[in-house]
Amino acid sequence: MTNLNAIDPAAVAEEARIENDVVIAKSSIILRRFLRNKTAVAGLVIFLALTVLSFVGGFFSAWDKETIDPFNIGMPPSAEHLLGTSQAGIDLYALMVEGTRISILIGLVVGLVSVLIAAVYGCTMAYFGGKVDKVMLFVLEALIMMPALLVVAVATSGGGNGLRENLPSWLLLIIVLLVFSWMGTARLIRSLSMSLMQRDFVKAAQYMGVPARRIVWRHLVPNIGSLLVLDITRGVTGAILAEVAFSFIGIGIKVPDVSLGVLIGQATSQVATFPWMFWVPLMVMFLLTGSLAMMNDGLRDAFDPSSSSVGSAKTGKKYKTAKKKSK
Amino acid sequence: MFRYLAKRAATYLLMIFLTTTAGYFLAVSTLQPALLEQERMPRPTPEQVTNSFRLKGLDPTLSPWERYLDWLTAVVTRWDWGRSPNGAFINAEFGDRVWISTRLFLASIVLTLIIGVALGVYTAARQYKFQDRVITSYSYLVYIVPAPIAYFLVQLGAINVNESIGERIFFVTGISTPGLEGNAWVQFVDMLAHYTVPTLAITLVGWGTYQIAQRQYLLDNVNADFVRTARAKGLTRNQAITRHALRVSFIPVAQSIAFTIPAIFAGGFFAEKIFAWPGVGSWSIDAIALQDVNAATATLAYGSVIFAIGAILADFATTLVDPRVRVQ
Amino acid sequence: MSSETTASTEMTAERLHVAGLHAPGYAPADAVLSVRDLNVRFNSENGVVHAVRGVDFDLLPGKTLGIVGESGSGKSVTSLAIMGLLPPTAGVTGSVRLNGTELLGLSDKAMCRYRGNDLAMVFQDPLSSLTPVYTVGHQIIEALTVHHPKMSKQATEARAVELLGMVGIPSPKDRLKAFPHEFSGGMRQRVMIAIAIANNPRVLVADEPTTALDVTIQAQVLEVLHTAQEETGAAVVMITHDLGVVAGMADDIMVMYAGKPVETGSVEDIYYNPRMPYTMGLLGAVPRVDASEKISLVPIEGIPPNLIHSPTGCSFAPRCPLVGDACLHGEPELRAVGGPPEAGNGLPGNGTHKAACVKTDSLGADVDVHEIFQAPAVPVSRFDAVPRLERRTVLELKDVRKHFPLLKGSLIKRRIGTVKAVDGLSFDIREGECFSIVGESGCGKTTTLLEIMEFHKDQDGEVTIGGLSNKAASDARTKSAMRKELQMVFQDPTGALDPRFTVYEVLSEPLENAGMAKPAIRKRIMELMQLVGLQPDHVNRFPNQFSGGQRQRIGIARALAVNPKLVVLDEPVSALDVSVQAGVINLLDKLRAELGLSYLMVAHDLSVVRHISNRVAVMYLGKIVEIGDVDNVFDNPRHPYTRALLSAIPVPDPRLERTRERIILQGDLPSPLDAPTGCNFATRCPVFAALPAAKQEKCLTLEPPLEPVGSPQVTAAATAAPDQQFACFFPDGELDADMLIVHETDLPDPQSTNLAPKMKGKP
Repeated sequence: MTNLNAIDPAAVAEEARIENDVVIAKSSIILRRFLRNKTAVAGLVIFLALTVLSFVGGFFSAWDKETIDPFNIGMPPSAEHLLGTSQAGIDLYALMVEGTRISILIGLVVGLVSVLIAAVYGCTMAYFGGKVDKVMLFVLEALIMMPALLVVAVATSGGGNGLRENLPSWLLLIIVLLVFSWMGTARLIRSLSMSLMQRDFVKAAQYMGVPARRIVWRHLVPNIGSLLVLDITRGVTGAILAEVAFSFIGIGIKVPDVSLGVLIGQATSQVATFPWMFWVPLMVMFLLTGSLAMMNDGLRDAFDPSSSSVGSAKTGKKYKTAKKKSK
Repeated sequence: MFRYLAKRAATYLLMIFLTTTAGYFLAVSTLQPALLEQERMPRPTPEQVTNSFRLKGLDPTLSPWERYLDWLTAVVTRWDWGRSPNGAFINAEFGDRVWISTRLFLASIVLTLIIGVALGVYTAARQYKFQDRVITSYSYLVYIVPAPIAYFLVQLGAINVNESIGERIFFVTGISTPGLEGNAWVQFVDMLAHYTVPTLAITLVGWGTYQIAQRQYLLDNVNADFVRTARAKGLTRNQAITRHALRVSFIPVAQSIAFTIPAIFAGGFFAEKIFAWPGVGSWSIDAIALQDVNAATATLAYGSVIFAIGAILADFATTLVDPRVRVQ
Repeated sequence: MSSETTASTEMTAERLHVAGLHAPGYAPADAVLSVRDLNVRFNSENGVVHAVRGVDFDLLPGKTLGIVGESGSGKSVTSLAIMGLLPPTAGVTGSVRLNGTELLGLSDKAMCRYRGNDLAMVFQDPLSSLTPVYTVGHQIIEALTVHHPKMSKQATEARAVELLGMVGIPSPKDRLKAFPHEFSGGMRQRVMIAIAIANNPRVLVADEPTTALDVTIQAQVLEVLHTAQEETGAAVVMITHDLGVVAGMADDIMVMYAGKPVETGSVEDIYYNPRMPYTMGLLGAVPRVDASEKISLVPIEGIPPNLIHSPTGCSFAPRCPLVGDACLHGEPELRAVGGPPEAGNGLPGNGTHKAACVKTDSLGADVDVHEIFQAPAVPVSRFDAVPRLERRTVLELKDVRKHFPLLKGSLIKRRIGTVKAVDGLSFDIREGECFSIVGESGCGKTTTLLEIMEFHKDQDGEVTIGGLSNKAASDARTKSAMRKELQMVFQDPTGALDPRFTVYEVLSEPLENAGMAKPAIRKRIMELMQLVGLQPDHVNRFPNQFSGGQRQRIGIARALAVNPKLVVLDEPVSALDVSVQAGVINLLDKLRAELGLSYLMVAHDLSVVRHISNRVAVMYLGKIVEIGDVDNVFDNPRHPYTRALLSAIPVPDPRLERTRERIILQGDLPSPLDAPTGCNFATRCPVFAALPAAKQEKCLTLEPPLEPVGSPQVTAAATAAPDQQFACFFPDGELDADMLIVHETDLPDPQSTNLAPKMKGKP
């Protein structure tokens, strides 16, 4: 705050420089904060490594997931079979690669699409409000009430109807998981957008005559953006866990498709005799969900506007906290 | 307050009706018990199958809408939830299984809540100390393990304990030893031996969520203005926290009870399956495998009712701890 | 100020001890609270914050010490340090003695013997300071039983009822069972006071006890504090940022800046003979509600220093207009103000008045603070010379109403009443003028703004903006033409700026929306930054990198971006510190004059309104009760509500504060649902209460219309002021004695006759 009437000559000189100055990208700030968090970066590296492995891992092994090795049935890890073989004589490494890919695929698709559905549904509720909101909220709660598992079971085990014949079981599971995974997020997005709509900066934009579409795009979405990203990682974790859980008890992915859940589930009956069959896919699953959880933690910190990583924000923040009076 | 609860109950009743109806249509259009009958030996003719099903009220020739109306009339007028393809009456089957499920989960639910909340308070009071870090890390760890796998691991552990001791202390499956004879004490010990492992497993997996939530809510309130007021009156910090912050931090926890009961019930499918307790959960999966429309719908309705009960209990608990809700 | 003291000589002698003028270690035997060299340090991520640096004072029984400072000055930390309520991580050194007992270093448990017993505290925010899940009775009784565990249930209950009655809560016995959420903010603050005085404390610390409240409620609560002090004989430490609040209450004042006391002395010394530029600036920065002549406010540039770095010189030096080389070498100590003050109206140089400034001796009552701080001249608008009626109308409201249905019932909604938030509002704003709406919270002033900002053709009443009526605003083009004329500045400068936008993005939004080309936008933004006094090279910063005052300037720049005719100001300075406030007010004044803007302002601070406005409307329960030229309305208020409102404002002038008669309204603003049929104000009206029953009937049945001053019932003297209308049948009626309070003055005060209060109740 300089004196009102005095125009700083230096400031005028600065003007030329600013002409070329670019606005600091927020994404780079967030990225920087994320990268500062070692755990989160480790999580990201593990997750990416697993994903890459699941796609290219097949090339590192002579075996594929269908070829039976009649000389090595139910063998522990060896030079020939990195992770041993299954009771059917199939290379476990090949199965693992395939299973991990399916699990990650399910996780990513369900995580991304469910957040998308939730964002559209939640924003619609918040934007229209009133009756629309009430009806949509009712539908939401009714869906929350439905025991998801039963519907999963009905849909994936329902006797030979057309749907099941034409679709692989993993796609069917994706669809059913999608139907039941977005409601919580939608509710969260609804309440967050509703409170954002009340914020002064949104009102300011409205009073300037900025069209609604632009307000949603420029003010609402970036401000719930952090929530969306967090919910994507959480959704991916949730979907992977759900896939494993359902497949584990035999109602999710069905043989001949493989997934981590199927591999873990199949191995339970002989844990004592073939322990590697159980522990190896279980460890991969832990790595997968664990790395996601680590990332989620780091992302939350990176997005947190009250994070102390903002360079010279100290003075401003002190003001903010002290300024709670006189409303 | 009772009017408020009654109003909530009415809303949930409507929701139960809608979800059950949706479930019935889903089941009726995807489950076709007739196909299973075809696999029987000797193979019945299609007419025989249809006749047999018509007698049980499962006529496949009728349209889903007609079957729905018949089913609904029976449920509403006679509280008759129909029959299974094998002829069993749903009502009779149901009673036993609800009892088994309830026995399995009641202790776990209570333990989950008590341990979760207690540990939440304990860790909040020792924020960032060793105990807090261990317990909270555990809770986060549980979050990334699917429930059935966790149950299985507990089961595995119990088996190991049995083996290392060389005696069968824990029963990892079943609800009781079949044909066990003896006095009440023997029966009681047997029951306990069967109960321990499933209850332990469900509780171990369950309390993490509550610990984290209670810890967070309490920490949010520890430095609240009203705690400072209480201290300014002459209460010590610990007194102020236990008398003032704790009660306020219960409010959101009470609200989240709504989601525990159905969540444990959902986890119950897995628990019943893994510990081989023939409760509602495992029945519902079997029903689907056996293409049993009425049983599947009944279990779905049961699930909705459990959810509604949880939600109403949560409302009730909230009104108990939060006077601000009472006026509404 | 308390009635206990009568002899003024005795007074002076006592005051010698009060302000804290003693060598460390020595404390007068009769001091109830002695603080010596109090220092508080916090560890933060960025380093050690030295929040309080060397506070000394002694407090005698029954006396009041006012600690004045802006946010971050360490005043609240001082109070918490005395109470022992700082987190254990805080490093507190020095000495705090209560009746001779050292309190610092006591364990939490040992400290509990004193807290709430001999030493009690009232906090700032009454809404969050009571536990929501317990009844107020429970919370008061808890304060009793903590210290008197053997007290019987009947005894505690009786005492709680007594306490609630003492703080002015009606039907206290029934209210014991009420929960905090059933009480208004003012009532909750009364409960807080009841809790604090439950055990007859020797020292009562009040930390901004009225900051969160409306002025009328503030007046009530200050009155309750006064009563509480009389009843208990407690010494009071009153912490505030508002120089008006302490002017009437305090015996001594300590001004704090950057964690350090920079000036201490008797209330007279500080207000009439300030010797530290900061104190002088603070006094000059506050607009006066009782000053009709417009003098521009004293802006204190810059922001308080960061307390992490220990200052090498005077901590105020970077903001001080008188700064010299001597100020930068070594922090000045508090030194006794020497010599007899030239003004001759204070006390002789008795050594009680101390200031931490190397130039103390060259300052004094006769130094013009406006000169020192180079306060800008009062800007003159080209419209000021044009008679109002000849100026163009930029906004006109005709009979605007906003009624909310109040619904009840579960499935089928029943309408059980109507909340008349705004009820038939008509006014106009001409070019170049500032029109303000004042009233308590809940009076409908914010709804009025919303009705204007969210104009649409279906609303009840007509809103004409720049000659375009809302009734014609059916197409997008008319709407955007209307929007262009009208922009808004919000109360909370933080909430009004998208945290994810840089200043550049914030300012470019309205310009982009107006379809301006990129190079033109850039040029305009640079212009705007200079216009509002911000450095243009800060455009790439985010809002959280600015101070509150700077953020508000960004908000103003955004509003001005598209060259509107009318700017709506919603409490534009209420979230800012006093010294920063002055800068923003001066800026608004300057912009109005230079750009020929009109303002519609909503504010609860009548001093600010008086300073900046040309015309004012007083609202009560959705209706305008008085409207007109600001000087007419403020100097000659006709409506009893206006009179009460004006009388509730504390003036930063101790002599005036102590002698003036105040009207203390009883109760809170009634819910708009229970709005009576006749005059809305009848339920709280001091005139109505004193009226004979026959005349009361008229108030209860007929709604008084807005009539210009000068109609038959008004005295002839007022006819000279035509721009004033009010809605009251009995503007000259006597005021009810119960609602009138005059404090006995305890200051020798030769000039008080000249400063006679303007509110004339009884002739």
